[in-house]
Amino acid sequence: MACPFCGLRPLEEFLFRKTVPNVGAGSGVHLGAGAGVDAGDSASAYAQVYLRVDSAEHSVEEWQHVAGCRAWLLIDRNPSTGVVRSVALLGGAQ
Amino acid sequence: MVPGVRYGTRLKDGPVRFTFDGRIYEGRQGDTAASALLANGVVWFGRSVKSRRLRGVMTAGPEEPCALLTVGEYPNVVPNVPATECVLHDGMVLRSQNRWPSLAFDLASLLQWGGGLFTAGFYYKTFFLPGWRTFEPLIRRLAGLGLAPGPEAADSAVNHPPAEEHLSCDLLVVGAGPAGLAAARVAARSGLQVVVVEREAAIGGETEFEESVIDSQAAHHWLKAAISSAAARVRQGSRNPRRVPRAEPGSVRVLLQSTAVALSSDSVVAYREGHEATNFRIHARQVLNAVGAQEQPLVFVGNDLPGVQMLGGVERFAALYGWVPKGPVVLFGNHDRLYASALRLRGQGARVVAVVDTRSFNVASSHVRDDPAADEWRRAACSLLEAVGVQCLTGSTVRVARGGCRLRSVEVVAAAGTALARIIRCESLLMSGGWLPRRALPVGTVVGAAAGALDLAAAVASGHAGGVAALQQSGLLAAATELPVAPLATGDPSPRVEPYLRSPCALHEEKRQYLDLQNDVTVADLRVAIAEGFTHIEHAKRYTTLGIGTDQGRWGGSAGAAILADLQGLPPAAANTSRDRPPLVSVSLQAIAGWRVGDSFRLVRRTPLHDWHVAHGGNPEPMGLWFRPRFYAANGQDAATAAVVEAQRVRQIGGIADCSTLGKLEIAGPDAAKFLDEIYLPRPSTLAVGRSRYAVQLREDGMVLDDGLVLRVAEDRFLATTSSGHGLHVLSHLEHHRAHRAGLRVSIADVTDCWAVIALAGRTVADVLQALLGRDPRELSPMAFWDWRGPVQGVGVAGQGAQRLRVLRAGFSGELSFELHCSPALALPLWEALLAGGLEPYGLDALDILRVEKGYLTTSEITGQVTPLDLGMETMVAKAGPCIGLELLQRPAFHELQRPRLVGLRAADGQSSFLAGSQLTVGPDDRMPVGYVTSSVFSAQLGETVALAFAARDVAPLGTVLWARDPLRGRDVQVRVVTPVHFDPAGERLRGRY
Amino acid sequence: MKRASRHYSALSLLRARLSGAGFWRPLWTGNRLEQAYDVVVVGAGGHGLATAYHLAKDHGIKRVAVLEKRLVGYGNVGRNTTIVRSNYLLPENHYFYEDALRRYEGLGRELNYNIMYSPRGVVDLALSDDDFPVLARRGNALRLAGIDAELMDRAALEKFVPALAPRRRRRFPIVGALVQHRGGTVRHDAVAWGYARAASALGVDIIEDCEVTGLHTTGNSATAVQTSQGEVQAGAVVFATAGHTGLVGKMLGVPLPIETHLLQAMVTEPVKPLLDTVLVYVAPGHAESYISQSDRGGMVLGGHIDGFPSYTREGAWHRLEDVVRATVEVLPQLGQLRLLRHWAGTNDMTMDGSPIIDRVKYDNVFLNAGWCYGGFKAIPASGAACASFVAKGTPPDLIRAYCLSRFATGHLLDEPGYGPYPVKL
Repeated sequence: MACPFCGLRPLEEFLFRKTVPNVGAGSGVHLGAGAGVDAGDSASAYAQVYLRVDSAEHSVEEWQHVAGCRAWLLIDRNPSTGVVRSVALLGGAQ
Repeated sequence: MVPGVRYGTRLKDGPVRFTFDGRIYEGRQGDTAASALLANGVVWFGRSVKSRRLRGVMTAGPEEPCALLTVGEYPNVVPNVPATECVLHDGMVLRSQNRWPSLAFDLASLLQWGGGLFTAGFYYKTFFLPGWRTFEPLIRRLAGLGLAPGPEAADSAVNHPPAEEHLSCDLLVVGAGPAGLAAARVAARSGLQVVVVEREAAIGGETEFEESVIDSQAAHHWLKAAISSAAARVRQGSRNPRRVPRAEPGSVRVLLQSTAVALSSDSVVAYREGHEATNFRIHARQVLNAVGAQEQPLVFVGNDLPGVQMLGGVERFAALYGWVPKGPVVLFGNHDRLYASALRLRGQGARVVAVVDTRSFNVASSHVRDDPAADEWRRAACSLLEAVGVQCLTGSTVRVARGGCRLRSVEVVAAAGTALARIIRCESLLMSGGWLPRRALPVGTVVGAAAGALDLAAAVASGHAGGVAALQQSGLLAAATELPVAPLATGDPSPRVEPYLRSPCALHEEKRQYLDLQNDVTVADLRVAIAEGFTHIEHAKRYTTLGIGTDQGRWGGSAGAAILADLQGLPPAAANTSRDRPPLVSVSLQAIAGWRVGDSFRLVRRTPLHDWHVAHGGNPEPMGLWFRPRFYAANGQDAATAAVVEAQRVRQIGGIADCSTLGKLEIAGPDAAKFLDEIYLPRPSTLAVGRSRYAVQLREDGMVLDDGLVLRVAEDRFLATTSSGHGLHVLSHLEHHRAHRAGLRVSIADVTDCWAVIALAGRTVADVLQALLGRDPRELSPMAFWDWRGPVQGVGVAGQGAQRLRVLRAGFSGELSFELHCSPALALPLWEALLAGGLEPYGLDALDILRVEKGYLTTSEITGQVTPLDLGMETMVAKAGPCIGLELLQRPAFHELQRPRLVGLRAADGQSSFLAGSQLTVGPDDRMPVGYVTSSVFSAQLGETVALAFAARDVAPLGTVLWARDPLRGRDVQVRVVTPVHFDPAGERLRGRY
Repeated sequence: MKRASRHYSALSLLRARLSGAGFWRPLWTGNRLEQAYDVVVVGAGGHGLATAYHLAKDHGIKRVAVLEKRLVGYGNVGRNTTIVRSNYLLPENHYFYEDALRRYEGLGRELNYNIMYSPRGVVDLALSDDDFPVLARRGNALRLAGIDAELMDRAALEKFVPALAPRRRRRFPIVGALVQHRGGTVRHDAVAWGYARAASALGVDIIEDCEVTGLHTTGNSATAVQTSQGEVQAGAVVFATAGHTGLVGKMLGVPLPIETHLLQAMVTEPVKPLLDTVLVYVAPGHAESYISQSDRGGMVLGGHIDGFPSYTREGAWHRLEDVVRATVEVLPQLGQLRLLRHWAGTNDMTMDGSPIIDRVKYDNVFLNAGWCYGGFKAIPASGAACASFVAKGTPPDLIRAYCLSRFATGHLLDEPGYGPYPVKL
């Protein structure tokens, strides 16, 4: 995995936290449509925390380079091959 | 040549004495167990698993399925060692496996006479009554190969862990045979750093016993020279514990006795076991797999008899160890190499009587048509052989190998039918059914025999081309440059293999056509599998257990897949074989574990006072990754008694404890307060500088993640403490939130190891501390702290350079308490100064008693399954602003009556004891619990057991009587709900009022 | 016309010996896909086959098809470490898994297929005195519910598992254990094949190489599934596609609280009996290993998930190393044994670690998923309960808590307390 700060580092230096919904990836899924939940403020928190949209080819994930610079990264991976498409800093922040 | 003396390239002078099944044998230095025992005339080496059939030596390599031995004496045994790989040393003790009472007479082998009863999968169809468990012990004793080491086995792994070496190179070549070395040679000469990994103890592969010539030199010499010429440097696997060696450009490094097995994150993992054991992680820009090809068996009736061996294996025995079979030898195969081998073996003294070739050669056949030169060579070889009395039978096949416990004769028929059967008496049948590529790493390209180049010339050319391709890939060869010329090699001719499915046989004979020699899987078993609907190779393998033995199907697995397709009338191309997964070859668990075993298994974390605890009876024990003293030996002989003594001393006089394991995080920046407000309840932004507050943080789902203190060191700087061991977890949590709040200017640092923490608790501690500081710490209001700058009696001067000290009026005991946060270097002097002032240390268990008496929480209560409401923190929640976790805390389940609530408990009779982990019920026989006890201690202060627990809200009111049920430890005690603050509920002592 | 597979018994072995290989018949038949079924079950793993079996057996619903993308039993049911137990903490879980364990006890006879239920005990090791309250909490809850549990100290553990040598010096000392004696192992392939055979005998069609690619719906109901072999009308659809449930969610347009993760397992070469129980080792620093010995003699090892979403079914080597290290820490004598092969399954990991058996989006579409680490040990109970749900329209009490809405309402079944993260952070 290529950390933007540290370069290419072995996978065991990174810790995965969660997948995030493919915002705008045209996945055809409407978030917040969890079964039986009242819409409202809590719908978005509930969706953010609990719901996932799985795709066999396309997974956008939050990882942290825990054994290195500890940067939080937003990673676009293909979970069927393990190939990493892109690595960005989460939130674009330092 | 002296008759009776063996000449082999691996043999050295000097005898070796060893025992096998209790008898003493003699071999030569360099012998393997297989070569020495064969030379001593031993025929039987073990028994198969399922039918306990006698087994000899089948191959001469690590894929050996039959001759597996146990080395050593129980409990220090190593089971399942292939005799072909077991290099002898003096005094070695070897035993055959899977037989009782002896190899020659095995009781369980009588099961063979059950005949067709025990076909594949028979155990799925019976053993119903009384139940599997009745039969299981016997079945398990019959199954398995060798005896496992006993628990008392010497900890060789722990005492001698392998070295670990990380290296990088431009090109990794797997395999130091002719193809691999040809690639390495051309690559290194043009400037690439090359590493070659070779499983054997010597380079050269098949050239060790073929008469081959490369560039007019003997192949073996050419290969050695190829990698050690002036332009390249060789370093044979030197012991290099954890140093990264720098390879010079244009060099070749050969790692012998090392096997590449898998990929780990783009690095190749290779292991060298045994002598100079090393774990390699090789980061290579390019990889070439020159792993060679595996010789395949032929399938005929009786192909498992001792005496039947692989031809290539015997050639190896002959060249390396000077052993050829005694007695008449028949060769059987489907390619041209048969003839070269026949000539070679004859030259080495074997009595070859026949060569059986399944291919037909009439003028019209493709073999003659397409390659007249090769056929010319074959016919010349046949003439030579026939001239010395060797029958050369083409278009023929061995149909049956006969003999009771060992081979006595073979029945040869025309390949196309059973006509013209002839019996040839022999004691050895050497078979070779062609070759299939060995398993390669899933990266890089495959060259050499593994890519189908089965003769030396093709292999060298293939390896060379691979090396050139690597050079081009690396850009070291400009397009205009002439490509390096491939070496000219001659050896055995291209074998022209013609696939041969299996010899003809009658239906009832199929149960003796073997496909797996360990699990005794035969063609008959495949028929049963098909009949039961297991037509796909994945199903058939699981059902028949084909290929699950130690050789993992290398012998006969492919044949089995092809025959499975054939039995169903499907074309051979339809034979679906299963995917190759790592490890490419088997590896011992201790090699994989590496050096991170024993005390290195997990990180060891110690506080700055660790050595003091050890020296003074603190006996630090593992708590998570930390080592902490539970109690001090001077106070009692076990934790229970000592802890009570220590806790009482704190309540009556005072004491000190090492709390350095607390996690500590520093959060700083202009937006630090704003940031922390979104994480902690109550809001840290309302803290004044120089003050601290107890705070909790919630997980996104509303549960309490952790609790601790938040100190405001400056307007824009905070220190937050976490539970011991949670430091990194909370750190990640904070960093994650920060990433989502881009634009907030805040920095976060883990300072856990930068601060030692000494807790002082009890009525006398303030005076002791005052003597050290020269100032009364009671001037601090509760929860306030000083950043101490100034002298500390008997310790040094704080606030200068790296010497830091904070004096915080807070604690975890309910007594008048202080926490001293100091730089690690100050910890021991400070501790000793406090001891000199008359205070005594207390350990973790006493700390636990004190905190339970006061209803303070630890991870026993904060389990990740409780909300702040469960813990009674309604006010804190009500007053909180927008913050992580609050939204999902509103979910209806968290406000229901069954939801647990923190309570205190005491025995109803005022004296019984009950333990943490007890379940709470309303009635003494109720099945459904309404809560459970989280922490329970004996309070000397109160004279009885006090506890903290969770109880459902509707049974949580004070005074409710419940049952603490503990069937595990045999006690049920009636308990009463009380306030969790068992002692001094008004908090007088905290305020210093005694 | 379906020809039922032969009845199995010791006598049948004898008859086969006399008749020849042709005596046996395929375990399951009915490979022709019909146009319409009352229930279509997607996925011929343990849960799918068990559900189909119970639909036919308990509720007389025989027009059932099990559609399988690859091969029967090719998924997780054939890749797990074969451990069965019911020693879960929460009542919603332990009653359910206990139902499964009780069914496993008699399953071999019920299916007339030897599933090799071996109640050799499951041993949860305690590594410090602080572990005892946590184990005791679980053990006492089990005992109150009438499920067997025993808390052992070091001396008792030494007698029960001689190979363990608990007094040996270790990085984390072994001080005792919580033991469920009725837990143990079951031959995984046999479960899949046994259910397939029994379901087929009752008239269920099992179709391999048939991938479900879409769902046809009208209003609030599904009417048919679209498959690689054509459209099939269905009165009800059950998705039992562990490891691909996320993709089902995508197909239905419903995000689910499931992440798909990879779980590795491995086996060593076979040796004579050395361990006659199942050891569970979970240590600080994310170390874990589940150790048992198969009846063939190989040591079967497993740990926790690799830690990131994956459909590759090939585990990360550094995670395998971790499990091996933990194994050698527990039983150092295993260091001399050789690892033969490793494999992986794809697990549905839910956001609280407990399964989901519920309707999803349509009134006749059901999800039997989210099994995390507890799929294999749940199969018999899952099949029976799910069939009951589908047949009657309401979930039986045993699985009422496994509803999809629990994440929104807060009725989480979070055994270890990790929260909405499959990975332990």
